[in-house]
Amino acid sequence: MTANLHPNRGNARVTLIVLYAVLLIYAVVTLMPFIWMLITSFKEPRDVFKLPPSFVPKLLFTDHPFENYVEIWTQRDFVIYFRNSAFVSFMAAVGQVFATSLGGYAFARLDLPGKNWLFALVLVTAFVPVEVTIIPEFLIMRGLGWVDTFLPLIVPSFLVGAFGTFMLREYFASLPRDYGDAAYVDGATPFQIFWKVYLPLAQPALVAVFVIAFINNWDELLRPLLFLNSNELKTVPLGLMSFVSQYEASWTLLMAGSVISTLPLIIIYMLTQKYVLQGFVGGGVKG
Amino acid sequence: MRSSRKVRITALLFLAPTIIGLLVFRLVPIGWSFALSFYDWKIFDTPTFVGFGNYAHIFSSPTAYKVFLNSAYFSAIYVPGSIGLALVLAVLLNNGLRSSAFFRGAFFLPYITSTVAVTLAWRWIFSTKFGLLNNFLGWLGVDNAPAWLADPTWALPAVALVSIWKDVGFYMILLLAGLQTIDPTLYEAARVDGAKPIQRFFKVTVPLLTRSLFFVMILALVRSTQTFEITYALTNGGPNRASTTLAFYVYQNAFVEFEMGYAAALSYIMCFILGLFTLTNFYFRKRWVHDG
Repeated sequence: MTANLHPNRGNARVTLIVLYAVLLIYAVVTLMPFIWMLITSFKEPRDVFKLPPSFVPKLLFTDHPFENYVEIWTQRDFVIYFRNSAFVSFMAAVGQVFATSLGGYAFARLDLPGKNWLFALVLVTAFVPVEVTIIPEFLIMRGLGWVDTFLPLIVPSFLVGAFGTFMLREYFASLPRDYGDAAYVDGATPFQIFWKVYLPLAQPALVAVFVIAFINNWDELLRPLLFLNSNELKTVPLGLMSFVSQYEASWTLLMAGSVISTLPLIIIYMLTQKYVLQGFVGGGVKG
Repeated sequence: MRSSRKVRITALLFLAPTIIGLLVFRLVPIGWSFALSFYDWKIFDTPTFVGFGNYAHIFSSPTAYKVFLNSAYFSAIYVPGSIGLALVLAVLLNNGLRSSAFFRGAFFLPYITSTVAVTLAWRWIFSTKFGLLNNFLGWLGVDNAPAWLADPTWALPAVALVSIWKDVGFYMILLLAGLQTIDPTLYEAARVDGAKPIQRFFKVTVPLLTRSLFFVMILALVRSTQTFEITYALTNGGPNRASTTLAFYVYQNAFVEFEMGYAAALSYIMCFILGLFTLTNFYFRKRWVHDG
């Protein structure tokens, strides 16, 4: 737009070309780790240590193109890690939608003495670094006998979530009050007003909370590292890391595993991009 | 009144998970951790009260000193690097070109993908002899390229670089949202007055973007103190602690050495520094942030 309105057409074209060149170069830099991950995952192990590095995904031209994927999926327990990650992330995301839709709605629309103080406390404590709270959290989970179960990765999500609470509070507050008042006149209870009137209207924000929680939990490394010991409970990031220490140089398998762990997030993000971006920006800018 | 009592009970029930969670996973741990920081406690022994012993020990420890320096160095690369790059990308993308959506998606991609997976891809790229980066540098004619992750000088910048790569798209999106609130007629006016693109950037864009910039700066600062996954998967804090920052050092003390009290004291120092920086930022806010 800026370029087209410029009085000097030739100059505008140069500006445009430079602009595209800069954007393209950075796009290549940004995407290179993904491209390289993908190419390596379709190489034969001996091709990895060839100089100069080859950009040819050789396995794609054989009759067993997905060899690395099949091996890591079936013989290296990746199917287990994947299932665990999917389960934990799904449950934690459900938990976040549960806790933060109730909390966000109450903060936005229900009267309770001291609720603004409570809300401030939720936000302020969210800024305390995880390093401060993780040691007692570990001791609590150990005391409950929850170490080496999925509970430490799921239960907290059913209770707190500053980001989701904040976002949904904003969202519920932005919906018109008249709907609730009308339902109230018709004799609806406060719960019915929430459940039948406002919750369905908040669907875009709920999707955003769900997806962001799913992505965050899929990505989580610290808590699985502390709370899970058994191989059959490991999540994908843990599986990848244990894989590194066992087979340091198996880059073809490792990159196949990395592709497998990245793909679900890219697909989910692409399907829900509209809601999620709004969630990130809305929750972010106003925060 | 009956109905308002009903509302209050509903509110209490709705907030019950939040209240329990706040108590069990925030307030109690925050207090507990503070208490722990005055004890010498290896997890399987009985705790002994040592007063400010842990703090004194931290301030006289050369390792802790090195870790503090590393953290400062990391933030000094990460904060200006990620914000500067995000600002440039946001301005370049705020032009109404149809392809902007593609670039925006591409730049945001690292932020939403699995950290451990992409960090392992970087680890492979940084690999000294067979890595993509050094082979590319060699092709450009650089023949004494560093060993990156194995080199004490380059390990920390490498972690910072991957962190910037991962987060810059997020900051860019936030800044883009800020840019889109700027009234385009202001640019017209500046152009009519003969302002060059660079002048328009510094005299129109930046002043009107200071609110978003302030917010992004706080976010980047907080994040720069909390890098864990990338360090863990890229260098594990090495070589010889060269890339160990404070957050990672807390983890190592607590869950590798099991020095719970010492780690708790470290985490409180970290929290204190972070709080100090954030407050300083807010204090200087009015000097440069223009509230519309």
